[in-house]
Amino acid sequence: MSGSRLTKWVVAVPMAVLALATVYPLVFTTNVAMKTRRDYTLDRFSLADSLRWDNVVKAWTSVGMSKYFLNSVVVVACSVALLLLLGSMAGFALGRLRFRGSSTLFLGILAALFVPFQVIMVPLARIMADSGLIDTYPGLVLAYVAQFLPFTIFLLTSYYSTVPAEIVDAARIDGNTVYGVYWRIMLPIGAPALLSVGVLNALFCWNDVLISLLMMPSAEHRTLMVGVTSLRGQYSDDIPTFASGVLIAAIPVLVVYLFLQRQIADGVTAGSTKG
Amino acid sequence: MGSRAERLAPLVLVAPAVLIIVVLRLWPLVLGVNFSFTGDGDRNGMMVGFANYLTLFSDPLFRTALRNVGLLVLLLPVAVAIPGLLATFIYLRVPGHRLYRGVYFFPAVLSPVIVGAIFNLLLAFDGPLNRLLGGLGLGPVDWLGDPGVAIFTVVGVHVWATFGMALVVFLAGFATLDSSLLDAAKVDGASFAQTIWHVIVPSLSRTIQFVFVTTMIGMLTSMFGLLYVMTSGGPEGSTYLPEYYIWIQQGQMNQPALASAASTALFLIMLVVGLAQIGILRRAAGKED
Repeated sequence: MSGSRLTKWVVAVPMAVLALATVYPLVFTTNVAMKTRRDYTLDRFSLADSLRWDNVVKAWTSVGMSKYFLNSVVVVACSVALLLLLGSMAGFALGRLRFRGSSTLFLGILAALFVPFQVIMVPLARIMADSGLIDTYPGLVLAYVAQFLPFTIFLLTSYYSTVPAEIVDAARIDGNTVYGVYWRIMLPIGAPALLSVGVLNALFCWNDVLISLLMMPSAEHRTLMVGVTSLRGQYSDDIPTFASGVLIAAIPVLVVYLFLQRQIADGVTAGSTKG
Repeated sequence: MGSRAERLAPLVLVAPAVLIIVVLRLWPLVLGVNFSFTGDGDRNGMMVGFANYLTLFSDPLFRTALRNVGLLVLLLPVAVAIPGLLATFIYLRVPGHRLYRGVYFFPAVLSPVIVGAIFNLLLAFDGPLNRLLGGLGLGPVDWLGDPGVAIFTVVGVHVWATFGMALVVFLAGFATLDSSLLDAAKVDGASFAQTIWHVIVPSLSRTIQFVFVTTMIGMLTSMFGLLYVMTSGGPEGSTYLPEYYIWIQQGQMNQPALASAASTALFLIMLVVGLAQIGILRRAAGKED
């Protein structure tokens, strides 16, 4: 390979610039959030003179971000818990137990993976409205579970198919029922995969805006991302408060990313190398 | 053991998941297609044949949305090549390669809403980007206000926000690459471009195929947040995409049957694009063998 050291350094320069361009938007937003409105109007680019949290506090309390934040936390927690439970049950059954028709069933679930939400959103909204689930938290949770379950099952099935059959057999000889094997052995053994899939699902649900907009029309039920979109109209003349709201929505993702980057990447790439 | 209850256990374990997927994912697909042949408003529930599709294809907004899909297809190779090249450089250990992966991947985990909100500030007419261009003696450009520019701006932001996803997939592909092939190319004195074309591309054909398909799906189905926050489909409807059109017809115009027709059209587009890409790439990979 002609990758001489000089070439590598020449390439490294644009790559470093791109890295800066990747980080800068969030740095800029943080800086704006720390400014007073006056400072921002006078000079939006200079560094804020101190870490001033007034705007963030204002966005959290009086703008209602705290309520939206809580809504999102509840919805995401319930959705992810349900996704992991149903996904691991199905993944264990399809990947490890296998039964007549299980591979056909798996293909059917894969097919659902290729039905994007935009294609089914109109009838789904009607189904939800007819069953009284529109504008309710269970309805939104159910919509998220339906949306991300095929992907969850896909990953967990391929994970559980790598678990040796002897483990199941040994546990059965010890007197466990199939459900006992699932609960006492497969759930703990699946922890790494469950963590990876769980984090990814949490991000999907946390970041979603379309499903939430469709399922939760009333203002007090807004999730955080819908809350951020509504900030824009309300605070178009108070950019530091707007930026603070954006920051509040971004910080949890940043924290999760810093600690679980590898798990997120594992989930994203799982489909590309297997199957 | 071996009791009837035990034999049914696997079915019991998959049943809840299958029920949810069938009722809330597959059944709505059937319902939606059926729905697209019924009327809106006064003609609610009546079969109207292809009337919605005729309305759809004569609606300038939907035509713009289709034209923009064409644009996305044209830009697709660029959106795949950028992360592909970057991943190649990281794989070849350019200085700082450990840092880049983590930094580039980060925007991919941010919500399009957050990304869009931030870029609204950055791309404002008097914002940082125009100031930077001004410093270089260029611009200013009305990034989001000029109908000829806005769609490129939104697509550009989408690529900025998602190239890290494809990058990570490419790096996972590189991890499976047989490094002796690269060494052999080096011994044979192959240039960088030759190495990419004759060694890396054929070895990673599966990964490349995966990235092409997922990037296209991403462009067709995950730009709603950006459009909603950055342009609302404007200026002059120039940034409409099918998913935004569906949302407007369903959520704002109260025309669910028309929206269903647009949904069905989007589904067909995705099917065609997906199959075509797989076909093209498979043939390309076959030629390399």
